Amino acid sequence: MPSSGVSVENVEKISTATSAAMEIVLSQAELLKELTATQGVVERKTTIPILSNFLFEAAGDRLSITATDLDLSLRTSCAATVKKEGSCTIPARKLYDYVKLLPEGAITIKQMENHWVQIRAGRSNTKMVGMARANFPALPTFPSGSATKLPVLVLRNLIAKTIFAISNEESRYTLNGALMVIKAESIAMVATDGHRLAHIETKSAFPGVNGELKTLVPRKAMNELKSLLDQTDQDFIEFAKDDSTLFFRIGGRLLTSRQLTGQFPNYEAVLPRDNNKAVVVGCADLMGAIQRVAQFADERSGAIRMKLDKDEIRISSSSTDAGESEDVIETSYKSDPLIIGFNSQYMLDFLKVTNSGEVRLEFKDAQSAGQVRPEGGADDYKYRYIIMPMRI
Amino acid sequence: MSFQDFHGNHETVTRIREMLARDRFSHAVIISGPEGAGKYTLAQMIAKTLNCLEQPVTRSLPDFCGRCSNCTRIAQADDLEARFAEAVEVREAMREADRRDARILIQTHPEVIVVPPDPPQMLIKVGQVRLVIDSVFYKPVEARSKVLIFTESSFMKEAANSLLKVLEEPPEYATLILLTTNPGELLPTIRSRCVAFTLGALPVRQLDEALSRSRGDLKPAQRELVARLANGALGRAVSFMLEEYVESRASALTMLRSAIAGSDHTELFKITETYRAGIEGRDKTDQLLRTLYALFEDLLMLKSGTPELVRNTDIRGELSRLAQAIDFEWIVTASQRLAEVERGMRRNLLRSLSLDAFATSLER
Repeated sequence: MPSSGVSVENVEKISTATSAAMEIVLSQAELLKELTATQGVVERKTTIPILSNFLFEAAGDRLSITATDLDLSLRTSCAATVKKEGSCTIPARKLYDYVKLLPEGAITIKQMENHWVQIRAGRSNTKMVGMARANFPALPTFPSGSATKLPVLVLRNLIAKTIFAISNEESRYTLNGALMVIKAESIAMVATDGHRLAHIETKSAFPGVNGELKTLVPRKAMNELKSLLDQTDQDFIEFAKDDSTLFFRIGGRLLTSRQLTGQFPNYEAVLPRDNNKAVVVGCADLMGAIQRVAQFADERSGAIRMKLDKDEIRISSSSTDAGESEDVIETSYKSDPLIIGFNSQYMLDFLKVTNSGEVRLEFKDAQSAGQVRPEGGADDYKYRYIIMPMRI
Repeated sequence: MSFQDFHGNHETVTRIREMLARDRFSHAVIISGPEGAGKYTLAQMIAKTLNCLEQPVTRSLPDFCGRCSNCTRIAQADDLEARFAEAVEVREAMREADRRDARILIQTHPEVIVVPPDPPQMLIKVGQVRLVIDSVFYKPVEARSKVLIFTESSFMKEAANSLLKVLEEPPEYATLILLTTNPGELLPTIRSRCVAFTLGALPVRQLDEALSRSRGDLKPAQRELVARLANGALGRAVSFMLEEYVESRASALTMLRSAIAGSDHTELFKITETYRAGIEGRDKTDQLLRTLYALFEDLLMLKSGTPELVRNTDIRGELSRLAQAIDFEWIVTASQRLAEVERGMRRNLLRSLSLDAFATSLER
């Protein structure tokens, strides 16, 4: 990966000015690495022909590669010997599959007439037909100034701990993303689908931020960002937004996403405050018990029953088809007994990402939301997960 | 191109432009009218006007320039059939697993999405509606508003239902335009959420004028015939295949003659034999049935003493002769029988036999 913030803007200026017959030479390994990174953005099931193409723009000593599905776009670049500057589009899937099969070494990409592109490597010679560069959607440019630096490790953790709770229902469009809240000294991320809510917050300094910077990050952008963060060796990424677009610059790669419309609900109002019945259990014990019991839960609702009693939790389920099942975990529970129902999958989603140590379950009564948190530890993160109970 | 180029239905178009002028264009609109009336053309014009970068004003009403990058990109979808064919081709070329989930959409401009019925069933499917709903909640970047155009009202049931929520509360920048030949086909819950515009039939004279500009290949007499046969729809008039029609009409007349005179069947059988099985035969048969209906209408006009409304003006003599041989009762029975043939076609009855049976059953 290129280390500096690559001259993406330069490339843009040149490519719009001329579109002479591009010709470049570059290394197979480098090209493949960047093509792999952009594959996630290329929409495979689209019937809009231009979207299944990459935009290649060669200028200076770099080739910039862009993929977009209109909602999300990713621009990356790699070093290349540019014999002739220019730009063209190439079928994304075919190119990727082909470059994968080429041996390591130099590849020459040359633009021909009528949007044909020639790719030569050693004794291999291939021609593919792209489309007019003018058909490629315009790409937003990173707003100058006002970028916020986000620490990679923190952001990666924030995304992993919330992404699973994002709603899939298209009618609840304000929930189709996670809310990122940046303050001068902290960063938080919240996601909910109306049945459960994941909230994580940590201390981190953002000197440029006054007050609160709230951003709704669409699920697709979260997914893509996550995989880009996993690949980078940088410590920080740059984040900026304008009226309609979000920008994330990860090393030499620029991810842009359209913003979702609408307001994220006032989640603070649903965070439980007086859940006074608490119990601490081992995360692995609880996960194992729920997984076993969930096998016999009603298939559609996945409902399980948790019975908190003196020094134990009984987790049980029953369905008319499968039978019934019960698991008991020993605890040091001392409060009044309580029976409460939950969707087992929602519980498991949380336990899977927490995945170590102990968790603290906090309840009020059978009708109120339960809260689950990782217990103790020297963790700098404040992570909490709210689940609505089920009537069973 | 501008609104000036839209033929006829001046009042409706003006009403739409006045709404646009006041920035009060409804977020959900139904445009109804017969095939070829210009519903899609008008919808495209609205999409361009909403997003035109130059925002010209003609006759003190908003218009579109047709030159800016938004207008030209939207205009790439003006030729709906070609874009549709391309999209279908792209899907055909996909890998099996992708193809199953791929939905046909046309989006030459990022903010204007055209949703045609999905083949082979030719219905708008729930997958298509979900995709566009998903994308409608992303803010527009390259234009002021997001426009969704549904080119036909043949929704699958779940597709129509999944549209309701967004029709009721679309984001402020979105406009949904539903086109239909028959508004009754849409769910009442969809209709009640939309403002409806109707494109009516154009007078024959206006069609004739338009044809004189666009169809140089037609002689004046042929032009008048086409103008009458197009049922007031400009799109149909412009693309009218006169030769095909005349051929089909010749078959229809043979059948009628045989039904009315009813002696020798060789002619009849020779004709009906050519209506074979398969897709080609289906189109040909559909055309024949439509032509037969049109002839019945003309006969009815002659019988009712309104010969000026006859559409097949070039064979007026022959029609008059036929009209003398029959009465109202006969026309009523004949059109009922024809409806039976039509139903039979849907059940895949043998075409030639059904037509034979139809003609012979009307003999007297």
